[in-house]
Amino acid sequence: MIDDPRTHDLELFRARQKSRNRVLGSILGALAVLFFAISIVKISNQSHKKAEAAAAMAGQH
Amino acid sequence: MTQPAISPALPADWRDFFALTKPRVMSLVIFTGLCGLLAAPGSLHPVLAFTAILCIAVGAGGAAALNQWWEADLDAGMKRTAQRPLPAGRMDRESARDFGFGLSGAAVAIMGLAIGWLPAAILALSIFYYSWIYTVWLKPRTPQNIVIGGGAGAFPPLIGWVAVTGDITLMPVLLFLIIFMWTPPHFWALALFVKTDYAKVGIPMMPVVAGEKSTRRQILAYTVLLVPLSVVPWFIGGTGMIYGVSALVLGGVFIVLSTEVGLRSSVPDDAMKPEKRLFAFSILYLFILFAMLVADRFATIYGWQA
Repeated sequence: MIDDPRTHDLELFRARQKSRNRVLGSILGALAVLFFAISIVKISNQSHKKAEAAAAMAGQH
Repeated sequence: MTQPAISPALPADWRDFFALTKPRVMSLVIFTGLCGLLAAPGSLHPVLAFTAILCIAVGAGGAAALNQWWEADLDAGMKRTAQRPLPAGRMDRESARDFGFGLSGAAVAIMGLAIGWLPAAILALSIFYYSWIYTVWLKPRTPQNIVIGGGAGAFPPLIGWVAVTGDITLMPVLLFLIIFMWTPPHFWALALFVKTDYAKVGIPMMPVVAGEKSTRRQILAYTVLLVPLSVVPWFIGGTGMIYGVSALVLGGVFIVLSTEVGLRSSVPDDAMKPEKRLFAFSILYLFILFAMLVADRFATIYGWQA
């Protein structure tokens, strides 16, 4: 049955699908990591700003 | 279990999607965007800086995919582009279109949420500029298409800069203008030695429409305008001497090479060596000029120059 073009095409089709899924999966995984990192940076930037503002307020008093 | 009676069309290989983003053009986009980001006064957290560059690159990739979706027929007619995924029949058009819109939209949205809506708006404008104003509207209509299209390539350093500072000032606009003025001599030098291809598909490239002589003169004219412009960042005090002197030296070489191209005319079976040399140098010129811009900024930060 190896020479059956239908089997052969289907194998090629599945292989193509598989490689696309792998690449898409890694991209989505990388994006998830990136979004997490962005969130952490943004949150810590915000708390830095708050701390600075509080320090400035304390300095005035 | 039943086998499918007719094998479905193969889905496009992921490498063809990657090729659709014009990775080689993207490398110049990443470089100039990064230089704009590093040369700007102020600082950006490395994660956010990476995100900004990623968004600029992905936006450029999306615009490139949209450009190839629109121009698939033209690309099929030119030797240089006939093997791209769409004209070669390795991908259907809808996939390229959706991929282009998807990348562009994602790049703008992430830029807006992570960095700011001003750089995101400029990124959106640059994508629109390249894929509509240039590709659809002006490229088939005017031989000045490259001059206007150069604007699309000029956006990355502007976006990189604005990602750091959050506002548009004279310096990033100057960087924009430098690439804008650099594009015509860079591209027309190429067009002089590959002009037959564009003529075949009816794109009004300058050498085809206005003739070789006029193109050569215009290459020289734009270079003569570019060199003083490239020194302006130094004159207004936006950069120090490292950048200024580099711009003068590089500009001098650029003028010498483009004078050679500007004042000669080709003979039958011309090897077009001066044109090829000018084209190769123009790429080097932009790389070194922008690298010097960054070097200049770091030299100032570390106190190596006033």
